[in-house]
Amino acid sequence: MERFEPVIVAFCCHYCAYTAADMAGTMRLDYPANVKIVRVPCSGKVDPIHMMKALELGADGVLVAGCLEGDCHFKTGNVRAARRVAYVQQQLEEIGIEPERLAMVTMSAGMGTRFASIANEFTEQIRKLGPNPVAAVRKGQAAAEPVAQVN
Amino acid sequence: MTDHTNDAQSTVLVIGGGVGGIKAAMDLSEARKDVLLVDKAAAIGGLMTQLDRTFPTNNCDLCTISPHLSAGAREQHIELMPLTEVTALAGDAGDFTVTLTSAPRYIDLDKCTACGECHKQYPECVRFYPGLDHRAPTCMRYPQATPQAFSIDMAACKDVDALVKVCPAGAIVVDDQEKEVTRRVSSIILAVGAELFDPGKLDHFGHGRYPNVVTGLEYERIMSASGPTLGNLVRPSDGQAPKRVAWIQCAGSRGINREDVSYCSSVCCMYALKEAIVTKERFQDDIETTIFFMDMRTFGKDYEAYYQRAKEQYNIRMVRCRPHSIVPDPGGQEMRISYATDEVSGMTTENFDMVVLSTGFRPAAHTVQLAETLGIALNTHQFVQSNHFEPVVTSRPGIYVCGVSEGPKDIPETMVQASAAACMAARHTDKALHDVEENDEYPPERDVFGEAPRIGVFVCDCGQNIGGAMDVEALVQESAKYPHVVHAEMAGHGCGQEALARMRRMIEEKKLNRVVVGACSPRTHEGLFQENLRKAGLNKYLLEIANIRDQNAWVHGGARELATAKGKKLIRMAVGAVAQAGPLREHTLPMNKDVLVLGGGVAGMNSALSLGDQGYKVFLAERTGRLGGLAAVIRRNLEGDDVRVYVAQLVERVQAHDNIEVITNAIVVDHSGMPGKFQTGFQIGPRMYYRQIEHGATVLATGALAHRPNQYLLGRHKAVMTQLDLDDLIEAQPDRIKDWECMVMIQCVGSRTAENPNCSRICCQTAIKNALRLTDLNPEMRVFVLYRDMRTYGFSEDAYIEARRRGVIFVRYEAEKTPQVTADGDRVTVQFDDPILGRPMEVSADCLGLSTGLIADDETTEDLAAIFHLNRTEDGHFLEDHVKLKPLDMSVPGFFVAGTAHSPRSIAESIAQAQGVAGRIQGLLSQDVINLGAVVARVDRDKCATCLVCVRACPYNVPFINEDRYSEIDPAKCHGCGTCAAECPAKAIQLSCFEDAPIMAKLEGLLERIA
Repeated sequence: MERFEPVIVAFCCHYCAYTAADMAGTMRLDYPANVKIVRVPCSGKVDPIHMMKALELGADGVLVAGCLEGDCHFKTGNVRAARRVAYVQQQLEEIGIEPERLAMVTMSAGMGTRFASIANEFTEQIRKLGPNPVAAVRKGQAAAEPVAQVN
Repeated sequence: MTDHTNDAQSTVLVIGGGVGGIKAAMDLSEARKDVLLVDKAAAIGGLMTQLDRTFPTNNCDLCTISPHLSAGAREQHIELMPLTEVTALAGDAGDFTVTLTSAPRYIDLDKCTACGECHKQYPECVRFYPGLDHRAPTCMRYPQATPQAFSIDMAACKDVDALVKVCPAGAIVVDDQEKEVTRRVSSIILAVGAELFDPGKLDHFGHGRYPNVVTGLEYERIMSASGPTLGNLVRPSDGQAPKRVAWIQCAGSRGINREDVSYCSSVCCMYALKEAIVTKERFQDDIETTIFFMDMRTFGKDYEAYYQRAKEQYNIRMVRCRPHSIVPDPGGQEMRISYATDEVSGMTTENFDMVVLSTGFRPAAHTVQLAETLGIALNTHQFVQSNHFEPVVTSRPGIYVCGVSEGPKDIPETMVQASAAACMAARHTDKALHDVEENDEYPPERDVFGEAPRIGVFVCDCGQNIGGAMDVEALVQESAKYPHVVHAEMAGHGCGQEALARMRRMIEEKKLNRVVVGACSPRTHEGLFQENLRKAGLNKYLLEIANIRDQNAWVHGGARELATAKGKKLIRMAVGAVAQAGPLREHTLPMNKDVLVLGGGVAGMNSALSLGDQGYKVFLAERTGRLGGLAAVIRRNLEGDDVRVYVAQLVERVQAHDNIEVITNAIVVDHSGMPGKFQTGFQIGPRMYYRQIEHGATVLATGALAHRPNQYLLGRHKAVMTQLDLDDLIEAQPDRIKDWECMVMIQCVGSRTAENPNCSRICCQTAIKNALRLTDLNPEMRVFVLYRDMRTYGFSEDAYIEARRRGVIFVRYEAEKTPQVTADGDRVTVQFDDPILGRPMEVSADCLGLSTGLIADDETTEDLAAIFHLNRTEDGHFLEDHVKLKPLDMSVPGFFVAGTAHSPRSIAESIAQAQGVAGRIQGLLSQDVINLGAVVARVDRDKCATCLVCVRACPYNVPFINEDRYSEIDPAKCHGCGTCAAECPAKAIQLSCFEDAPIMAKLEGLLERIA
């Protein structure tokens, strides 16, 4: 069987995780190409809508990556982000989607190694969970569309 | 080029356009001082442009420096004169008259487009300054040369008319003449660097005779994507891929033989490690790398970790010895190295495919000539003489020096001195002249409102950096299909001047109103591309960068298809986002020009004085009750100067200075604001009263701690002390010390260990300093120094030689087998293995001196890092913004670091940093307004439900409910974090640059139609 390659969106804070991701590149650390980064000025900018939208559009996993606790460039953005992630995880559980598809992680700008290892671990975790059920439904819909037109 | 007023009082002459000269010129130009930058070569860039990668990050060199090179020519305060030398100097500091002689280029710089036609047809008469002899790259000196133009060697040209006809731009000027001009300048910075030793003079290494023996720089060129083999590592003799490569350190350095110099070149250990690591990275187990060395001198910040990584992660073999000779193996192409080590008696021979000679710096003959012209003194090694307490000051007032021309050093130290020289040179310029309004060099912004998006996509290949990892052409073809994309092309080195000019042309021709660049990280290059859009008449926020290098090519270097697929996605996301972008306006505030210096040691006081002398108001806050810091307890430096006298003079000057306010017993408790408008709160004095200071910039000079690890009976036996204790004792009780018969010193106590992996940099010099003073007092005293690697870099090697000449015995020990120390009454017994005799030794010593070095003041840096949101290294030092190019700037704008808070260093090196910081700050504070950028939250009043969520969410209490009963956010106060936008339940708030629409567009671009 072909290995499942999940699509993962990582919302990365410009001041820490995004820099750490650059650092991982500088250090030539290999991490899965499944992880695609969206740069945000602060993890506190990541709206529950962004997390949900990513999953709705078919992402198999979503990471919100901010600064270490107490190190937020904007004081408390990461704390708020963590709170929102917990909230969205709760919502996901209620609608029957594994809350583990969403995670909040923290790191400092110098932690290129940590970024790469998180990217590895999270990709593995999502791979075990299998495809996002929403994506499967969407796929089904897409396949069903021509039939619907005939009717 | 803009017109420059030739006014004596306003211009600084910078001689030499290497990294040091460029940095000095840029710092001065940021401070709105006019700079005349002359270089005898046809293009600026110096040595660094020939390197493949730089340690310790293994970043591509050209990528890091090329934006600076083009900026060097771009800055309106910098006038560039290539092919020019200083031939005479008259006058005094503040008003020099300098004679400049420019060699003919035979090319009109304004017309040459660097198309290369002339070079293609007449390679023999077109100069491209390869910098290398027998393996010249067949291109310009480097792809991003500044000025971007060729030059002609008329003497070599046989058919001038034909050559002239070949140029499509008509840029060849046949009758170009040598030109001589005189200019008046206020001060001079000498940044001419040095040459690299030519090892062909050493007959036992065979360089020049055997093609497979190359220098470190030649190896860099072979590995470089812009080099003669386009980055393919091949054995020069037959083009085969080498399997075994050896490096030989100290080729021509640290020697006493003919052609050798005695000093250490300071950089070769690191560059050899770098070359070996890069080789291993590219070829892994297919290649064996061996370094022959005497002492591994990885003394810089975090360099020791790099050395450990080389050994452990990359399996680079380290052989401690100085090889005897290199001869060709009679059997074929291989080279045979003969060497003797401590472990094996007799000679060992071993074959290698290639041998790299790590050659060091030599002062150039023309530098000696130039020093004479300028009337400045040289030291015994023919480098420019500087003062230990004024490290960039030469013997002639008004002339300053930086970089390798002052002594061997690496790029960060060069950058530090360059900023320091910029600070010192600026003192001689007249400030009043610079209140002239800056003329706007940009065209008016084109109004794109109402236009449908017309997106242009430019994808860099960055030499091999991106192109080597993915199919750039496929990326371009794919992106042409994306919605709204009307133009897509490969951009080569997109950050080079030529590519930037082409991008501007395309914006005009194709009427582009949005741009996507597939390039490196926006963190480093967004500003450059934004400026380019602005030059092309577009608002700079109509740009999106797809990070296909740092976050793609460098990550998936071994998986071309994967990287190409991911690259396409990243560009697709950027295209989606930029289609949603709109023009934005930036906000400004008045600049507060006061400076807060934290730490009243040598670094802090020097920063304060340099800034105070330039008219800035300085608050010097010291945590303890007295100024002086660690240096106040040091008696002598290696050169023998009285440090206490120096520190006392500093304290006196600081306290008497009109512009400096000293605040002792001051502890930082809170902080807010932005560069140009900071507020920092202190608790002051025993009563802990609160005081808030408003300032525009902040200097971190909080120092380090003298290490006192609980080892070797330190603190438990009175014969055991640190080198710092010993330094004091030698001055305080010389009579007592005179009677000592035997002294033992142990190096690396508490450094280069598992707990504290870094090298303390200063301890080898300190041990030698004390050993020399002990033998001054009593020439009969037996002094043993137990060391792991002697790291007397630069000219301090001379002191090491002197110590050995006096009979100080240096015995190496291994980290795994440290010396054993036991108490023996008033004396101590030290047991250690002698690697040369190959047996254990026991010495009874009157005194044991421990070289304990410095450790970070972890508690202080942790507190300050939390309050100011600063980055730290793993061992608790402050982490600068860029280890190579911005060694003094912190990544939080407006913060700068100097002295041992950065990393362990000598007093002279701390002073250079302190003055360098002042040089950086004069640039920051020369502006009268703060640019707040455009990333601010905006409220849509029609959607606002006045629910107060934003008011409560904002970390800075910026939103408030205004008279019209909706939330209002002052753009001048907004920090741009976007928390309010994320929390607003009505989605009434959008954060400019990061609106919901482009973020959603990115998600859609990534996840479009899964099916």
